[in-house]
Amino acid sequence: MTFYSFSGMLQCLCKRDKGMELFLQILINSVIVASIYGVMAMSFTLAYRGTRFFNMAHGAMGAVGGYMFFFLHQNLSWPFLACVFGGVVAAGLTGLLTDRLVFMPQRKRGASGAVLLVVSLGILAVIEAVIAMIFSSSFQPLAPMGEITSYQIGPARISEIQTWMVMTNLLVFAGMLFLLYETKFGRLLRAISDDQEVARILGIRTNLLIGWMFFISAALAGLMGILVGLDTGVEPTMGFYLLLKGVIAAIIGGISGVPGAFVGGFFLAFSENLGVWALGGAWRDAIAFILLLGFLLFRPQGILGSREG
Amino acid sequence: MEYLINISILFSIYGILAVSLNLVMGYTGLVSLAHAAFYGIGAYATALLMTKVGLGFFETILCGMLLTGLAALAIGTVLSRFRDDYYIIASAGFTVIVFNILMNWREVTGGAVGVFGVPRPMIAGTVLTSNLSFLGLSLVFLAVVAGAGTLIVRSSFGRALKIIREDEDVALVFGYRPLHYKLAIFVISAMMASVAGSLLASYLMFVDPSTFTLNENVFVIAMIVLGGLADIRGALLGAALLIGLPEALRFTGFPDDIAAQMQKLTYGLLLIVLIFIRPQGILGKFRI
Repeated sequence: MTFYSFSGMLQCLCKRDKGMELFLQILINSVIVASIYGVMAMSFTLAYRGTRFFNMAHGAMGAVGGYMFFFLHQNLSWPFLACVFGGVVAAGLTGLLTDRLVFMPQRKRGASGAVLLVVSLGILAVIEAVIAMIFSSSFQPLAPMGEITSYQIGPARISEIQTWMVMTNLLVFAGMLFLLYETKFGRLLRAISDDQEVARILGIRTNLLIGWMFFISAALAGLMGILVGLDTGVEPTMGFYLLLKGVIAAIIGGISGVPGAFVGGFFLAFSENLGVWALGGAWRDAIAFILLLGFLLFRPQGILGSREG
Repeated sequence: MEYLINISILFSIYGILAVSLNLVMGYTGLVSLAHAAFYGIGAYATALLMTKVGLGFFETILCGMLLTGLAALAIGTVLSRFRDDYYIIASAGFTVIVFNILMNWREVTGGAVGVFGVPRPMIAGTVLTSNLSFLGLSLVFLAVVAGAGTLIVRSSFGRALKIIREDEDVALVFGYRPLHYKLAIFVISAMMASVAGSLLASYLMFVDPSTFTLNENVFVIAMIVLGGLADIRGALLGAALLIGLPEALRFTGFPDDIAAQMQKLTYGLLLIVLIFIRPQGILGKFRI
């Protein structure tokens, strides 16, 4: 079972005791973790908009990206950026493949959300098992050995990779808003998520667009998988926890909206870090799920949501 | 021979789990990912009460069932607010929360290390040290659970469950309260899962949290989807196939790590393929 202690966050939390410094440290750690959750949540909601089911295999795309990077970097020694590109594309194609081979045919049969969820659990198991058979099931660091640059912000510390994560989060947020609201492609995607039947009648090629949604969504998860791998490391089961946090962030933010997922990522990360500070790092996942249950019970539409829960 | 006994014991433990989950998933239409938690609570109840309090095996089974029943009553009440996908996600939350408690409440549960030295059951002064005698006991439990399951689904209570599964409004019109029925079967099913946990703890003579994960829950779901939704014999068949198949692979000379992954690969593929070719499973009567 996986547990990410994001880069020594705990040590920092334990050592500092002055209120302001502590707050700053928690804030910065939250911003870092929020980037991971935010990207996972935004990419998850992108596919969710088109398909309306919880795709549990989405997180596995993070593992696919991370391991493809690992393979290209270690075995073929491609240059760094080429490895990142390879990992992202591999994840995107895997996502597209799951849609074409499994989800699209099921959609045509009118399968319910629960069925698709159970099937996606199967896909998750298959991907995890295949990765473990190829690369072994143990945890492996991705970072190129040697220098890990880090910056000092007041009393807090943030590594170079973590700044990339934060920037990725902001870029993905801006990029998805642009894509969805400023381009023709985005208008089509939104048309599908509002009403697939009508969109199809109007001549929109829904399955093609949903394929693109899957590709982009999985590619973003793959990118996050690589970044997490560089920050800590990769293991075959990493995707599932990335996904659960992404889904939780998406739900508490108000599912099916990009701003909601972005805000949900921050809210989840900040609550988790406060909880971790109070209770200890090992309770992180429990805190996340208790938060989720609280939201589902008392505010099912999420922080920014307006739709049904 | 010893090896075959080992597999048969595992089969009876998973058979209990599959029957238990089928009552909820197949007959009532609720896909629960919380059952790994109930399995875990049962296992830890037996492990801790036997090693720390010194209770006998059968007393700890009752305590475990009681504890799990109470937990299931609370969890089921919360879950009754959700439907379909949200039900599944929320139920997964409880497995993660219980896993976290087992992992972190070190003073009681022993944390990641778990609890060692769980004794084998004692019947009339003799301890069931041999695996063969333990197999006998676990088969008795399997028979009892499967029998109870059969009785439940054939009773008027079981018929009400199926009506609720098909259409809650119709059930209401006929005067059944879906909430009460769903809660009742959830609690019963959780208690059965707890028995499986107790058996596992005493058989392995130790427990650790890594057994009670979402993966394990999905594994049991795969058994039911394979063997048959809403069919008791189907659940047993699914358990037998999914326990037996990967073990057979181990015989053909795969290394252990690969064999474990083969099991995961098998059930993952089965879930995907079955939804296409036979969504109700081999003997099943219902499709999710």
